[in-house]
Amino acid sequence: MKNSGLKAIIQRSVLQIVRRPIYWAGFFVLPLFCFFLLAGLMENGLPIKVPAAIVDRDGTALSREISQNLAGMQMVEYAESCESFTEARHLLQEGKIYGFFMIPEDFQANLLSGNGPAITFYTNMTYFVPASLLFKTFKTTALFTKAGVAMSVLDAVGAESAVALPASLLQPVNITVRGLGNPGLNYAIYLCNSFIPCCLQLMIMLMTCFSLGQEIKYHTSIQLMQMSGGSIVKALFGKLLPQTVIWLVMSAFMTSWLYGWNSYPMNGSWWWFGLSQVMFVFAAQALAVFFFGVLPNLRLSLSMCALLGILSFSIAAFSFPIESMYGAVSIFSWLMPIRYNFLIYIDQALNGIPVYYSRIWFVAYLVYLIIPFTVLWRIKKAFVKPVYTP
Amino acid sequence: MWNKFKNSIASFFLVYCREFKLVLHDQGIILFFAFLPMAYPIIYSLIYNPELVREVKMVVVDHDRSQISRELVRKLDACQEIYVRGYAADMNEAKRAMHSHECFGILEIPEGFGRKTGIGEQANAVLYSDMSLLLRYRGFLVASTNVMQEMSAELQLQKINEVAPLAATISSGDLMSVNNIAMGNTSSGFDSFIMPGVVILILQQCIILAVGMAGGAKRANPRLIGYVGVNQGESVLGSMLGQMLCYFTIIMLPAIFLVHYVPLIFSFPMAGDFWEILAFLTPMILASICVGFCLQSVCSERESVFVLWVITSVAFLFLSGLTWPRYAMHGMWRFMSDCVPATWGVEGFIKMNANGSSLAQVRPEYISLWVLTGVYLVLAYVVQRWIVYPQLWRGPKEAASVKN
Repeated sequence: MKNSGLKAIIQRSVLQIVRRPIYWAGFFVLPLFCFFLLAGLMENGLPIKVPAAIVDRDGTALSREISQNLAGMQMVEYAESCESFTEARHLLQEGKIYGFFMIPEDFQANLLSGNGPAITFYTNMTYFVPASLLFKTFKTTALFTKAGVAMSVLDAVGAESAVALPASLLQPVNITVRGLGNPGLNYAIYLCNSFIPCCLQLMIMLMTCFSLGQEIKYHTSIQLMQMSGGSIVKALFGKLLPQTVIWLVMSAFMTSWLYGWNSYPMNGSWWWFGLSQVMFVFAAQALAVFFFGVLPNLRLSLSMCALLGILSFSIAAFSFPIESMYGAVSIFSWLMPIRYNFLIYIDQALNGIPVYYSRIWFVAYLVYLIIPFTVLWRIKKAFVKPVYTP
Repeated sequence: MWNKFKNSIASFFLVYCREFKLVLHDQGIILFFAFLPMAYPIIYSLIYNPELVREVKMVVVDHDRSQISRELVRKLDACQEIYVRGYAADMNEAKRAMHSHECFGILEIPEGFGRKTGIGEQANAVLYSDMSLLLRYRGFLVASTNVMQEMSAELQLQKINEVAPLAATISSGDLMSVNNIAMGNTSSGFDSFIMPGVVILILQQCIILAVGMAGGAKRANPRLIGYVGVNQGESVLGSMLGQMLCYFTIIMLPAIFLVHYVPLIFSFPMAGDFWEILAFLTPMILASICVGFCLQSVCSERESVFVLWVITSVAFLFLSGLTWPRYAMHGMWRFMSDCVPATWGVEGFIKMNANGSSLAQVRPEYISLWVLTGVYLVLAYVVQRWIVYPQLWRGPKEAASVKN
């Protein structure tokens, strides 16, 4: 037969992709949409100017000074002024502010008479990121205020020599926390490097199963098997190779956009990180083929990929560390290729350490390339005698 | 006129009843309507259930080896956030430990640390933190700030007594206490922060996926899927409303499970009134069904929804403002986030559920949801009338020929 061989299969596969809009959506539109959304949404790095309020029940020179200090901080913006705790709580419940700083009645008087008044600040922890930023700002301001108070108390008792050693008196012990690789706490750097490849993994797995399942659904797999001369390896290779090329181009585009154009941290070697991105695409495809072999049914294999692909965002421990999870849950983290991609990213791009320390993650990728071979016979069976179950 | 009205009411009920049968016969749709909203939140909550990040491993490089440097390390180790893995001889050894993933932070105490506190200079230590996960960094930051404050207060008191022995009589104890109160999510746990938002997102996505798949079933060749998925009466609006009511009835139970029982099982904040929450979520469910109807325009087969819609969950999670607040979004993204029912659903539900807002306090969100319901209903009608219906008229003929 003239219309056979690897070249013909590849041609057929390319034509299939070009002809159907759903492939365009799945291969290009959706991954790129998610990519630009994630990279564009958090462009500023940190959501500064958190809306907050000050409840000044004292109304003295000191309390106004504290208010002014707070208003000068970069992180917060005083959206509302309130007269009472209840008013501030209502604003918080309505979502107009994320927290408030409370200066109690007779604050100045109690302070000067040594009655030890309390400053309390409230943060709405249902919004983690803005509330954490507020917490930091409020705490800093409160501590500075306290230090100022200590100075004036010393002044009051006539200890002039105190003026000579302010820094050590205000803060005798200081611990500076330095974030390695992302000193500005850039939220985009923290999230995009894990979430974007995870989106890619989800789409790779879905599209692989979808395109294979379509062959069975429309009984075109018989033609495919004839073209490959009955060899399932050849059929799958020809079928998936054009997709591999597309995913590699997409991955290269995203990587260069982030680490090249947007200067995300790349403290290690481009080569190792690039190798990881390439092997990641192979691994995700191979895993999808494996799932398809286990469940050679369009809907079930897609459900499986969707379930695990979406769960990957949590189970791969991008935000909540794996050692804090329950042991029985955390082992599932190691099932998905994205975990290894994330670990290699941390080692090779963020921290830039010798590749020796990430060697095992690279080996893990190789395992994914082997497992589809265990189920090839099932795919072959399904391809030769296609049965579509909805 | 009267007859036409009567007909549309009749077709509405006919469609409503027939749709149940269709849904129950379709395993795929049942999976989205029943299994997904039941299983997903449980799995998700289990992953994050430990809530807090405790005992993050740290290695200490102590060049000082004084009483005060040891006290610093002891105090850090006593914090719930930090676990001191051990001492390293020098920075190289500590780095090796960090590179081999045995610790996530290095505390370096410089030589002369203890001496400086003695002679009244500021003593500085540096904690280098791995930045792969912000929760670990946050733990280091919180613990070191607390320890720093406590030790500073002690030293301060000593010093004040040195320079002015009378000062202690003026203020016994703390000059001014500083308190923080976490509202809503009172334990500051990660699960309690993310899950209430995620359950609403799951609710929306389940509905849209199921309705989208029903659309694919309508348009698929009946020979392929083994039954006729078409259930359209004469009146477009009548059949649409009939199907909407059917989906609404089915999703009610999973929805109650999601917003009431999931928080109950995992002890998430539950400060809202159950009936008010249900009243709030009604327009969100209706709007999601309408979005599903719109999605039917591009679902030419049942499985299309997987490719076209699953990934949007990630986009909607970010657009909802749960992780990245909405006030910091740029114009275009903000508008996009306004168009998603779950954005308003998540915002309102979190306020009611965690912060105890009443329905009146989430008025803007509630109104937005009804507006979205209206907009999507009109859009859904347009899609059904001019895209889905014309294709279906070809469908039944084919179906009829199959039966013959």
